[in-house]
Amino acid sequence: MAKIKTLAMLAAGVSCLALASGAASAGEVTWWSPNFNVERAEELKVKFEAANPDITLNIESTTTNGLPQRILTTLRSGSAPDLIDAQHPWVTGYAQNDLVLPLDDVIEDRDDYNKAAIDYVTYEGKLWGVPYRIEALAVLCNRGHFEEAGLDPENPPATWAEFLDAAQKLTHDGRSGFAITGGGEVGNTIFRSVPFIWENGGELVSADGKTAEVNGEKAVEAIKYWTDMYTEYGVSPASTLENDGTANRRLFIAEKVSCYQSGQFDIGSIQKENPAIDILPIMTPHPEGGNPSAILGGWSWVIPSSAKNPDDAKTLIKWLAQPENMGFYTDTFPARVSAMDLPRFDEPILKVFGEMLPYGRPLPNHPRWVQIAQAYFDGVQRILIGEQDVQASMDDAASDIQRLLDQ
Amino acid sequence: MPGRHTGLLFALPALFVLALLVAYPIVYTVILSVTDLGGSFNGTENFRNVLAARATPRAFQNTLWWVGGSIVFQVVLGTATAILLNRDFFGRSTVRAIAVIPWVVPGIVAATTWAWMFHTEFGIINYMLTGPGIIDEPVGWLTGRHTVMPAMIAINVWKLFPFVAIMVLAGLQSIPKDLYEAARMDGATFWDEVRYITLPQVRPVIVAVTLLLVIWALNHITTIYAITRGGPANLTLITPIQIFRLGFESFQFNEAAALSVMFFMVAMVIVALYIRFLASEGEIGR
Repeated sequence: MAKIKTLAMLAAGVSCLALASGAASAGEVTWWSPNFNVERAEELKVKFEAANPDITLNIESTTTNGLPQRILTTLRSGSAPDLIDAQHPWVTGYAQNDLVLPLDDVIEDRDDYNKAAIDYVTYEGKLWGVPYRIEALAVLCNRGHFEEAGLDPENPPATWAEFLDAAQKLTHDGRSGFAITGGGEVGNTIFRSVPFIWENGGELVSADGKTAEVNGEKAVEAIKYWTDMYTEYGVSPASTLENDGTANRRLFIAEKVSCYQSGQFDIGSIQKENPAIDILPIMTPHPEGGNPSAILGGWSWVIPSSAKNPDDAKTLIKWLAQPENMGFYTDTFPARVSAMDLPRFDEPILKVFGEMLPYGRPLPNHPRWVQIAQAYFDGVQRILIGEQDVQASMDDAASDIQRLLDQ
Repeated sequence: MPGRHTGLLFALPALFVLALLVAYPIVYTVILSVTDLGGSFNGTENFRNVLAARATPRAFQNTLWWVGGSIVFQVVLGTATAILLNRDFFGRSTVRAIAVIPWVVPGIVAATTWAWMFHTEFGIINYMLTGPGIIDEPVGWLTGRHTVMPAMIAINVWKLFPFVAIMVLAGLQSIPKDLYEAARMDGATFWDEVRYITLPQVRPVIVAVTLLLVIWALNHITTIYAITRGGPANLTLITPIQIFRLGFESFQFNEAAALSVMFFMVAMVIVALYIRFLASEGEIGR
C-alpha cells in the first residue's frame, strides 16, 4: 500500500514538474550577458522576475574573446537567444543583414540617451539596439613614475608636445613611457589611434562616406605622431606589434610601462594585481590649441530576428533600460544621461573618463566598415614594421579604402 | 548479374548521404559566389572585388611560401627521424613515444604556447638568448618582416613532422632485412643503405604522406590565426585566413565564397599536377 502511495505521489510530482517546465518555456527569455556583467545580471534577474512573475530569465555568460564570431554564428543559425549584449559598432552589421529586430517601439525617452551612442545603432532611420553602456578611452599613467621623472602629476601634459616630452622622460632603464598598440584585434588600434586623427582635424573617410581621407595632410601628421612613439622615439615597448589593450595593461601592472591608453574598465584589475600603483588618469593629449577626442565605445542590447520570445525580450529591455537598472548593470558609464546621477559614477578616479565622454564620437557607419578598419590597421602595421613611411603607407591604405567605398 | 545491382542498391543510401554532405556545401558555396547579399545573381562581381584587393595576391604568395616551406622541412625532418628511430638503441620505445607528442598536442594549445615562447617581452626564447649574451636586444620574432613567416613554418614543421616520422617508420619496418644484409656483404656503409635501399623502398609512403601534408597546409588556419591573425601588415596572411576574415569578420559571405571557389580550383590544380607527375613516374597504382 505504501508503495502504491509513493508511486502515486511520484506520478503527481512528475506531472506537476512537466506542467511547470511547460509554463516556463512559454515565458522564458534567454539572455547572453558578457562574463564581466553576469554577476550583476543575476541580481537584476531576481528583481525582474519578482516584477514579472510570468517571465523566466535564463542568463548565459559570454566571453569577449571570439564573441563577434560567436554572435554571428548564432544569429545565422536561426536558433539565437532572445537578448544579446553586443558592442555598438557590431550592431549595424547585423541590421544590414536583417539579423536583428528594430527596437524603435522599445526605447523610451530617446533624448535622455547619449546622442553618439544612438547614432551608432541607427541604420536607415531605424534603431537596431538599445545602448546601455558608453565609455571613452583616456590615458592611464603611473603617478609614482611621474614623480620619479620629475613631472608634476597635478599638472599633467595636455598637448602633443608636452606629452611626447613626458613620455621621453618616463622612458629609462627598460621602462617605456607610453605604450601604443600594434597587435591583437583591429579595434584595439582603431580606438587608440583614430582620435589623434580627429583631434588634428583629419578624417578616415569624408562625412558623406564617399571619399577616403586617411592620406590627407592632417591625418598623416597625426598618425606619424602616434606611430613615432614606437618607430622614432622608442617610448613604446619592443613588443608593441604584439600588444593589444590587455597586453599593455599587463606591462603597466608589471611597471614596465608608465602610461597607456585605456578605459575605466582596467582600473579594478590594476588595483587588484598591483595595489602599489597609484593610478593617474589623464586626458588624451591634443594638438596645440585643439581639443581631446575619443571614439565612443560601449555595449547595446539587441534582439535577434530568430529569437523565440521577442515580446518578452522587449519587456526585459524596457525594464533594464530604467535609469537605476542601467546604472547598476553597466561596467563603465550608462548610456542614459539621467543614470549618471547615481553615486557610483561620482568617484574621483572616474572624473577624467567622465570628462572625455563629451568628446566621444561614433565610428563611421558603413557596410564595409570592418574591411575599411582592417585596411587602415594594415597600413599602421606597415609603418610599425618599417615597410613603408607614413605617407606611402596611408596612400596605399586610402586606395584600399576608396576601392571598398566605391563597391 | 544480380550481384552487381544488389551491391549498388545497398550502397545507395550511403552514397546519397555522402552526396548531400559533400555536394551540398560545394554547390551552395558556388551559388553564394555568384550572388549578392540579397541573393540575386551578380555574375563575376564578387570575383572582381576579391581579385582587386591588395591582400589577395599577397595572401596567395604567402600561401605558396607557407605550403612549400612546411612540406620540405616536414618531409626531410620526419624521414630523418624515422630512419634514426628505426635503428636499435637503448630506450628506443620511450624516444618514439616522446617524438609523437607535438602531433598529439591540440593545435590551438600548441599555437598559444608557441606564441608565448616567441613573445618579444616575456618569451622564453628571447630570455634564453639574451641571458647568456648570445644577442643583445630581444628579437621581435612574430613582428619582424623576415622572421614571422619562418617562425610560423617552424611551428607547423614541429607540429607535423612526427606524423611523417610515424608513417615512414611503418614503411621502414616492412623492408625485408635481407636486403640490408646483402648490401652489407657487399660493403655498403650506413649512407649507402639509406640512399640505395631505405629511400627507394619507402618512397611510396613519402609520396602519399606529402600529398596529405600539401592538402593540410593548404587548408590550415589554426596556428597562424591563433598567433598573428595573418598580421603584422598581412605578412602571414594565407588564403584560408583571408577567406575566414572576409566571411566571419567582415560579413562578406559572397566574396568569401568567391575566394573559396578560386582557391578550391587552384588547390585542385596543384593536387592534380602532383598526382599526374607521380603517375608518370609510376608511383601511383603500383
